[in-house]
Amino acid sequence: MSAIQLSSVTKRFGDVDAVRDLDLTVETGEIYGFLGPNGAGKSTTINMVLDLVRPTEGTITVLDEPVDTAGAALRERIGVLPEGFDVYSRLSGRKHVAFAIESKDADDDPNEILDRVGLGEAADRPAGGYSKGMRQRLALGMALVGEPELLILDEPGTGLDPAGAKEMRAIVREEAARGATVFFSSHVLGQVEAVCDRVGILHEGELKAEDSIDGLRDASEAEETLILTVDDATDDDLDPVRAIDGVSGAAIDGTMVTVACEAAVKSDAIATLGEAGVEVRDIETESTSLEELFLSYTDGEGVVERDEPASTDRPAPTPEGGR
Amino acid sequence: MSWVVVARKDFEDAIRSRWLQGLTALFVGLVALIAAISLPPEGQTVSTNAVLGGSFVGLLSGTLAPLIALVVAYSAVSGERESGSLKLLLSLPHSRADVVFGKVAGRAAALSTAIIVGFVVPAVILAFGPLELDVLTYIGYTLLVALLVSVFVAIAVGWSAAAPSQRTALAGAIGLYFLFVPFWDAVRFPLQFALQSLPEWVPVSATAVSNALFLINPASAFRGLTGALLRGQLFAGETAALQVSALSMLLFWLLAAPLAGLYVFQRRDL
Repeated sequence: MSAIQLSSVTKRFGDVDAVRDLDLTVETGEIYGFLGPNGAGKSTTINMVLDLVRPTEGTITVLDEPVDTAGAALRERIGVLPEGFDVYSRLSGRKHVAFAIESKDADDDPNEILDRVGLGEAADRPAGGYSKGMRQRLALGMALVGEPELLILDEPGTGLDPAGAKEMRAIVREEAARGATVFFSSHVLGQVEAVCDRVGILHEGELKAEDSIDGLRDASEAEETLILTVDDATDDDLDPVRAIDGVSGAAIDGTMVTVACEAAVKSDAIATLGEAGVEVRDIETESTSLEELFLSYTDGEGVVERDEPASTDRPAPTPEGGR
Repeated sequence: MSWVVVARKDFEDAIRSRWLQGLTALFVGLVALIAAISLPPEGQTVSTNAVLGGSFVGLLSGTLAPLIALVVAYSAVSGERESGSLKLLLSLPHSRADVVFGKVAGRAAALSTAIIVGFVVPAVILAFGPLELDVLTYIGYTLLVALLVSVFVAIAVGWSAAAPSQRTALAGAIGLYFLFVPFWDAVRFPLQFALQSLPEWVPVSATAVSNALFLINPASAFRGLTGALLRGQLFAGETAALQVSALSMLLFWLLAAPLAGLYVFQRRDL
């Protein structure tokens, strides 16, 4: 049994493919990290899994039930922390959790849940006065109600300070230890790296890589980064380089081209660039870190920090050699 | 019954709304004021029915009650969609139908409660004055006002579910108000005129067309029913059949408007 399965899923908004031909399987019992920069299509994918948005093509099953016909009853078995949600500002935190308990026909104690997510003190205040981080904690608490078989957390680290992010990861681990499957999205590598059994990297609506963190690290260690100084090149000139088997990504910033590739295809990459009419003036190589691998998959977009910033709302830093 | 859970939460949320509290207080305050100034000179008695049936109270109920309902309910679904709280709601085991019908029930109940509680104030003024308080009629009148606001809540929630954005929801609510309240006659009379000379084979009389055009508007149906109630002829007398139609029309709106909104809402990406 798989917890989530997407088969050839495409979602088109107008003439833009937000998600393109996506195949993705989350196995029961694992913590799956869904990683990618903002705008990669993560939330669209999750909204399709929740049946908030309907796919243009393809099928989606959750806990082996097709989401389009399963109806609301399926959501009794899952806990969701959605992205871009808002609270009912006139209702207290306790009322929110009580509402989730009643909705799921569960027998949890609202106080226990609120204490667990660190809102015990603020339980009786209207949620409209909560900070971003407190709202995030509240929604996490609502997701935990009824010991769901599957937890779907869309950017759970948003608005949390480093301590809060750590507590959130501890809860994710506890839930997994209880036997729940966790599907966890983030644009911050560090958040995913610390807890996930397996990671999928989404970029521009496509799954670019999927492996365990160790697998990704091995792959990254086998990789090298070529840093080439060129006379003049455009992003289009890099397309034939990207097409080479063994090249995982290429980016340009002014006259600096960065190519992440297996050591064996380095000379191929340089030659291909020459064939495209680009004069290479200088060549440097570096071995690749996991961070650079992530950035190379995502054309330099995305956040790699391990110590979560106080607010993840700030723009992603431009990586060295990125575009 | 998932929609009941949604309704209960929406009731608790809506009853705390300043808009709902303020507008209801204004409405009830005005009714109380009219009751107070209609107190007759010493030694005479006037029935409360005469006060309620007076043109001021009729005008108030017919114009202010639908307005309050539309203000309280126009953003029921569209507002939650725009803010994102709808995501929280639909992450729980509630279907979209639960959301729409739960919202209708919750807001209609909140507003009806406010109105029923609020109507105690004018009742007290009427009871202690030299007026005869006809309790049953007074309760009946209050319940009919509650039914009228519920119908307009249903219409507003239905439209709110169908509206593509919060702005369209607001524009629609304003449009619906003007259509049903001040401009209905301007719409009704040309239609009635156009439909007067129906061909022979259409088995509908001109009177039936005229009645239908009158009753299709919930505010008119309400006026028909309250008029009969205050005359002491509810579901009796010459207009009994017409009154049953008026009540049916109100109940029809109560169900049909949310259903139509749900039809569009079901197919939408959120």
